[in-house]
Amino acid sequence: MTADILIQVLVSGLLIGLIYALVAVGLTLIFGVMDIVNFAHGEFLMLGMYASFWAFALFAIDPIVALPLTALLLFAVGVIVYQTVIRRILKAPMLSQIFATFGLMILLRGLAQFFWKPDHRLIPHSLVSGNIALGPVQFGLPQFVAALGAVGVTGALWMFLHRTRLGTALEATAIDREAATLMGIDGQKMFALAWGIGAACAGLAGGLIATFFPIFPEVGSNFILIAFVVVVLGGFGSVTGAFLAGIIVGLIEVLGGFLVGPEYKTAIVLSLLLVVLLVRPRGLLGKA
Amino acid sequence: MRFAAAITEPTRTPTRRQTIKRMLAAAALLTTTALTGIGIGAAPAHAEDEIRIGVIYPLTGAAASTGVELKAAAELAAAIVNKEIPAPPGLVAGIGLPNLKGAKIKLIFGDHQGNPQVGATEAERLITSEKVVALTGAYFSNVTATASQVAERYGVPFLNGESSSASLTQRKFKWFFRTTPHDDLFVGNFFTFLGDMEKKTGDKLRTVALFNENTLWGNETTKLQVKLAEEQKFTIAEKILYPAKTTQMTSEVQRIKAAAPAVIMQSSYLGDAILSMKTYKELGFSPKMLLANDAGFNDSEFLKTMGKDGEFVISREVWALDQAERNPLIKQVNDLMQKRSGVNFNGNSARAFTGIAVLADALDRAGSTRPDAIREALQKTDIPASGLIMPWKGVKFDANGQNELGTGIIVQVQGGQYVTVWPFDVATKPVVYPMPAWDGR
Amino acid sequence: MTTGTNSSRKAMGTAALLALAAVLPLAITEPSQQNFLILMGAQMGVAWNIVGGYAGQVSLGHAVFYGIGAYTSTMLLTVLGLTPWIGALAGGLLASVFALAMGWPCFRLKGHYFAMATIAVAEIMQILVTNSDFLEGAVGLYLPMDRSGWGWLIFLSKLPYYYVILGLLVLTVLVSWAIERSHIGYYFRAIKDEPEAARALGVSLTRYKLIALSVSAFLTALGGSFYAQKEMFIDPGSVFAGTISIKIALIAILGGVGRLTGPVLGAVILITIEEYSRTLFGSTGSGTDMIIYAAMIILVAVFSPSGVLGLLGDLHRHLGRHLPGAKPAEAKTSAKEIRP
Repeated sequence: MTADILIQVLVSGLLIGLIYALVAVGLTLIFGVMDIVNFAHGEFLMLGMYASFWAFALFAIDPIVALPLTALLLFAVGVIVYQTVIRRILKAPMLSQIFATFGLMILLRGLAQFFWKPDHRLIPHSLVSGNIALGPVQFGLPQFVAALGAVGVTGALWMFLHRTRLGTALEATAIDREAATLMGIDGQKMFALAWGIGAACAGLAGGLIATFFPIFPEVGSNFILIAFVVVVLGGFGSVTGAFLAGIIVGLIEVLGGFLVGPEYKTAIVLSLLLVVLLVRPRGLLGKA
Repeated sequence: MRFAAAITEPTRTPTRRQTIKRMLAAAALLTTTALTGIGIGAAPAHAEDEIRIGVIYPLTGAAASTGVELKAAAELAAAIVNKEIPAPPGLVAGIGLPNLKGAKIKLIFGDHQGNPQVGATEAERLITSEKVVALTGAYFSNVTATASQVAERYGVPFLNGESSSASLTQRKFKWFFRTTPHDDLFVGNFFTFLGDMEKKTGDKLRTVALFNENTLWGNETTKLQVKLAEEQKFTIAEKILYPAKTTQMTSEVQRIKAAAPAVIMQSSYLGDAILSMKTYKELGFSPKMLLANDAGFNDSEFLKTMGKDGEFVISREVWALDQAERNPLIKQVNDLMQKRSGVNFNGNSARAFTGIAVLADALDRAGSTRPDAIREALQKTDIPASGLIMPWKGVKFDANGQNELGTGIIVQVQGGQYVTVWPFDVATKPVVYPMPAWDGR
Repeated sequence: MTTGTNSSRKAMGTAALLALAAVLPLAITEPSQQNFLILMGAQMGVAWNIVGGYAGQVSLGHAVFYGIGAYTSTMLLTVLGLTPWIGALAGGLLASVFALAMGWPCFRLKGHYFAMATIAVAEIMQILVTNSDFLEGAVGLYLPMDRSGWGWLIFLSKLPYYYVILGLLVLTVLVSWAIERSHIGYYFRAIKDEPEAARALGVSLTRYKLIALSVSAFLTALGGSFYAQKEMFIDPGSVFAGTISIKIALIAILGGVGRLTGPVLGAVILITIEEYSRTLFGSTGSGTDMIIYAAMIILVAVFSPSGVLGLLGDLHRHLGRHLPGAKPAEAKTSAKEIRP
């Protein structure tokens, strides 16, 4: 009985942890390439959820089917945000950059409320619904598919960064911007690409959780703190680190909440973060 | 080397010119600091026969959807009072304000964003620059706490229609009135209901899990539930206060599932209510009874978003459309709401409507817009059940400003509707018990 | 033109300003226009600036000090019946001690990692207070309304609060000013701009960072106590909230970090935008106020990245080229190059 519950809790933690990882890889990618912390990242997730919702409500396209569309749309949003706002603050002090992305966060929430009303929405009948029971362990198909999707997207991102010319150029920019420029890599293009991909990752995460999570303008605020924790725990800029950290945070959060008490679950995760930082000031896999 | 310069010149002081310049800059700054208040919320000139009432709701932020709903209900009430819409016969709302020579009321809305400090600031702005004669709102108990405190200082009546924290009317305020019953009564109803259900079904419903959100409301509810459970010999199998705005509820639901209670008593706002239902289903957990504490579970959007999965939830309520069988006013006013906003009333919006109606009734009887006259009229309020759209015994305030005649009902989602199932003498449908398992629906 | 004896002139200037601000309420009698949210914001921003601006240690968790201040003075008042004059001091001291305990390990972290650690500490503290029965948890604390007057710092009218917060702002500015022109201020800036050189010259980085954080924490806690006295109800969500931390930092950033007057200017602008947009558009319920507020923030960030003071500096420099007798060297003050 107890072992069953433990396994169940671990499975739940793993599933949500993979989602955290997907939200966080986009954030950490943007940071890695240009040292900017994007406070509006949760809002990219929100936009991804709304994209799925409207694809479903207006054209009856299932969120899972609409994923490529959602990714494309959010890629465009990321590039537009970069071109209109971020490009102008590249040389600004870190504090002003925080200020700008914080403004962006409020702006996107306000726009969502303005255009789509503050209502909570849900996609009622997705292709993926229902439960899977593996012996005593039960989990929802939507959560399972979302976690699977998260693994797929993160894996694809990793392949892109390490196995393609464009991805390698992006990595090179992240490691040493000036050297990359000397090698003939167009920094501006790389930055825009990073924002596009970062936003697309958050959008995909939004599309994947839209099958089971309520959709509303402020939904990003539920995820942003955890996303930051994952990014810092993994080490700013490290995609692999964020992936590992996402899983760790998911497991610790669900397990800690179960064992100690749900009211302390976030505190447990944050304490873990502090402890790790004290031992490894750059997170698990952060670059020097 | 800026640093070297700093070290070698530690006693370097600014030049005189710099000093003067900086002093001038600072003077300009401090002047603007104090002056910028000017014009913020400067009131536009308004007609003399217009009676302004301040209404504070969460119109942006996480609870914005509820706030917008409350706003629509308040506006409907104002339209009825102003005779822009013919009033249903029997409704007590000071219709037409005959004692004030047919003056019109005007609602001035303020947005508190779910933030107690903003609530207090808005209350002050409405009182001092918008010159409102009374305030109402604010839905969130903690915002009502700070906003009503401002009203108390200025000596302006504050009528609260929908905040249920018991402590609000224990502050011995002179200017604070509340029409809705508070959590003491609601939580008491839960246990009476469970007792009645035991008698009716012969089942034991003595093990309960408390599952409440961790802010003022959920906390006070938990304390009352623990107290009453002890007094009435219920066993608390699990007690969970979960952080609002969470990303996952699996740890919470796992704990409850492991404790295997007969009844879950849950207090959640909308987003969490939806997420928890999804998690119950995900983990294949169905208790015999899910007894919800209003709020998210009774929000208009709850059933809209949950669809079939929202069936059989039992919730405490203060209003239900099926009570129209006993009080025709409920249907008539609800029809007006449908026509105007395209939605039915729910417990929150019906209470917001009633707040404005009770305030307008007092205004008319006061025959004056002087705060003390309104306060006196409020104290003398005595509205019979037949003049309300609430299934209450009436409205009459005690010395603390609490309506003594408020009552609660318990509803259950059956066939996509909230139907009254308790008290048994006003129920329109029997309780479906136990709640069917997820795979047995 | 350098003189060493202008501190008396500065004191006179400050006194004149104090007098000016003090008589303003006589001219502006409308209570809602005696808008001291700006003064409260300025006080927090100036306090934050000591550690976030001068010493360059960006804290995004200052709400923890604000909350400690509010809860300490309120608990001492409601449980022991102690006057908030003492309670606020106790809160400030407690916040300072907490700052030392938190800074000791956290100052090993750099840049974004430090900022994130401060967020984590503040969030953990909010969770602990929310679940503390001793502090009434999420239910919050009410201040007694039956006690009022200067002894209890509870007033039925608004004007005394105006003077209290104005006094607190003046105190905070004075402390900040004293630090800025003392050797400690030089060390702070050294830590910020040339940490390696400072270390090489034997300046204990951690020690001075701790001094900056604890002074800042003390002053922020006083602000928190004032909040409790003014609103007369506190709960963890309203004094420990992450949004407070962000706002404190935004105020300083907007005006220009590391400058004495920056946060004051920042508060004037930010709070005015916030109040105006909410007052004018908040009642629509369509999110318009948020859109306008956010658009202003982004515009400021894009067009004056070193804060409004930086923008003014740029303007001055630009004009200075065309004005006879202007000394470019004197006007040249960029965001990174902060001079006393």
